[in-house]
Amino acid sequence: MAHYAMVIDTRRCVGCHSCTVACKVHNELPVDMIYNPVTTVGPIGVFPDLHMVHIPLLCMHCENTPCVDACPTGASLRREDGIVWIEEKKCVGCKACVMACPYGARIPNQKKGIVQKCDFCSDRVDQGKVPRCVQSCHQKARIFGDLDDPNSEVCKLINRFHAIRLLDELGTKPSVYYINGLGVQMR
Amino acid sequence: MSHKHDGWGWMLAVDFFFAGMGGAMLVIAGIGDLFLGDGQTSVLGNFAGAVFIAVGACFLILELGRPFQAFRVFMNPKTILTFGAWNMTLAIIAGILFASFGITLLPWSKLILLRKFFAAFCLIFGLVVATYPGALLARNKARPFWNGPGIMVLFFLSSFITGMAGHILCGYIIGESSWFIVNGYIVGSFSSLVLQDLPHLTAILLLFQLIFWSGYIWIKWSGSTEREAKAAQRWISGDLSASFKLGFILLGTIVPIVLLLFTNPVVHSVGACLALLGGMIMRYLVVRAGEDRTWLPGELKYRSRLPVGNEDFLKAWKS
Repeated sequence: MAHYAMVIDTRRCVGCHSCTVACKVHNELPVDMIYNPVTTVGPIGVFPDLHMVHIPLLCMHCENTPCVDACPTGASLRREDGIVWIEEKKCVGCKACVMACPYGARIPNQKKGIVQKCDFCSDRVDQGKVPRCVQSCHQKARIFGDLDDPNSEVCKLINRFHAIRLLDELGTKPSVYYINGLGVQMR
Repeated sequence: MSHKHDGWGWMLAVDFFFAGMGGAMLVIAGIGDLFLGDGQTSVLGNFAGAVFIAVGACFLILELGRPFQAFRVFMNPKTILTFGAWNMTLAIIAGILFASFGITLLPWSKLILLRKFFAAFCLIFGLVVATYPGALLARNKARPFWNGPGIMVLFFLSSFITGMAGHILCGYIIGESSWFIVNGYIVGSFSSLVLQDLPHLTAILLLFQLIFWSGYIWIKWSGSTEREAKAAQRWISGDLSASFKLGFILLGTIVPIVLLLFTNPVVHSVGACLALLGGMIMRYLVVRAGEDRTWLPGELKYRSRLPVGNEDFLKAWKS
């Protein structure tokens, strides 16, 4: 069984937010919901040696899922391939998962009264396609693949660049890795 | 800096308050009945314990995005919220059945063994209900102010303070309307050792609360991580500090300590009311402190730029 993961190369990301827009369009999200924000750190340094880093954020599809562990209805689930998703008809909008998620990846949908989140575009992944944010990234800053396949691009990039995971110290074991080539404090 | 929050709201704080108070009231009633005998707490107080838990449960349901699907909260026994929901339900049932033994008109009111049985259930389920909100918050790794066992102790302590205050108030109210007791319809609690000692015991717990809260804030402020120190700073000099110092510490803790040391039952009742106010303020502030997550790089700046919902362009969008 595959273990889907994403590598985000922050050296390539230019902060265009096209992934944010593509995600909103694909998931038909209301105006106040964003699964896929892109934050900016910087500018850092002293002129003329200035630099800034854009950090796309999304659900980290953790191996140890605090959100799934907190869900009292069993609506939050983790598939065998590592994708964490919400069975919407079971969700009552208690927000226990929102409070449990260290990454702010779960967003209450006020209109539907439930919580929603990025599911790595599981509908596309099941058809053998990559998530919409990966497809829309013209800088190829997002790479999606199978972590269990040693020949996959994600596996090679993680090993080659010693990619890091956000808030790794919490023990959540995220499936989203970041290549941080500019030395910006990301932990 | 104003930014949008999508976490728990004030209704959950109200749930924590009523559930904690009700749970502790049942525990006090259960302990009194099991170890000291009949009529140690007022019948009104015993009923109120169960009713307060039910009121808390109603607020919990209202906090849900889909309140009519609330039954689903009972579905996943591995989670602490489900565990809490089941215990709240069982505590309400045990509390009402136990309190009914105080109405002498009811045929089962003389069955002492059965009463002791329900008193034991009140003790067990009440204890869980009084403790679980703190445990629920303490498990959230990403909320630096909540994380750790300390918040569980503080909630447990506050539950008992508010539970005792609830019994003091109920004892006072039923003492003022003793017609039912004189005429033998309900069991009286005039000579109760528990009710007599509750004001002083509450004052002692309030003193503990003052010490524990000072210690908790200090430990968080000088704590192991920068994010904990930042979270504690909100209570020391940030947006929560005025409500914390004036509302909770002064009005909800120090003033009740003084009032509960008097011997006048009216003054005791005022002190109990203030202790309840303090418990409510504390829970509201703790829930608000949970807005502070462990922020990711650049996230706070990003979120500060998001609309909070009252912007003109959003109104135009909706119209």
